[in-house]
Amino acid sequence: MIAIYLCAIIAVYAALRIITERNTMRKLPFLNVISFAVTAIIALLLPHPLTILAAAAFFVGSTFESNAIASTWSGGMKRNG
Amino acid sequence: MLDEPARILIAAALCWINFVAIDVFFKLPGSGGVCGATAIAEEVEKGGGNLHGGFMLGNIVSSPDASAGTLLAACGVYCAGLPGGLFAALLVYIGNRICYDPGYAGTTGAITATFLVYGMTQVGFAASDFIAGMVIAILTIQGISHVHSSRLIARLWDLRNRLLGDHP
Amino acid sequence: MDEIIMAASAILILIGMISAIVNLDPFDKLISLSILISGIFPFIVDRGLLDVAIALALIAPLSTVFILMACQKRASS
Repeated sequence: MIAIYLCAIIAVYAALRIITERNTMRKLPFLNVISFAVTAIIALLLPHPLTILAAAAFFVGSTFESNAIASTWSGGMKRNG
Repeated sequence: MLDEPARILIAAALCWINFVAIDVFFKLPGSGGVCGATAIAEEVEKGGGNLHGGFMLGNIVSSPDASAGTLLAACGVYCAGLPGGLFAALLVYIGNRICYDPGYAGTTGAITATFLVYGMTQVGFAASDFIAGMVIAILTIQGISHVHSSRLIARLWDLRNRLLGDHP
Repeated sequence: MDEIIMAASAILILIGMISAIVNLDPFDKLISLSILISGIFPFIVDRGLLDVAIALALIAPLSTVFILMACQKRASS
């Protein structure tokens, strides 16, 4: 039972680190920590075979979102500069 | 046999060794896979870190690699045993293809982590220890201090180049 | 659901909401929305609604991609 509490505490810690970080690109690794922790919470809450699909869908979706944000940010900066 | 906090710490060390070894072996710190990873690496270098370590942080953020493979394989073994871990490896491969990545590192990491977690459940560990351990391992790389973790990864990258001898 | 996990998810949702209101840069707003959506998932999965969770996990990044298209067009013009 300690495992799921640990994941919840790490998720809150990473969220606090995001709102204290000023640089936009350096926020994204902390967002990745949040998505790892929430994937772990999803898997630990409900042990069912379909949970693997839900956890993988959440993780891949979150990663794809970070990828899109980072790509658009760098493309916009290149075009402006 | 052991208490749960001690098992979680041992599992965190095993997961850390697994995913860092596979990521460094598959040349993730060598270059940015997509342009977003390169942008993250440049920002980390601007903040005082190392460029090669920043490439690895950016690649972990922008595509599911061996760290995601380890976590999802541990979830699969926790939910459905050995077939669940192999199914998670298939899902990691699909996710890699969605994020424009060849997908060797993620799939290899997921398969080795499946057998690692399944083997450790036979000797008294629980799969939930490995899930929490992987979250702690990714926290030490991405969540504590980007400057120090990128320097550590750059040192491992130099060691790998000296041992295997091929520069990118 | 356990009280600590419920409290942690609620804190994630509140942090995401407040920082989405306070931040002015559109990319920071999108990152805050991502925190908010992460906080919703434990509540859905705890009720056993795994199909809803899968559908939401696939729809939420697509909506972010559409908002990013608008950001890109405004940055270039």
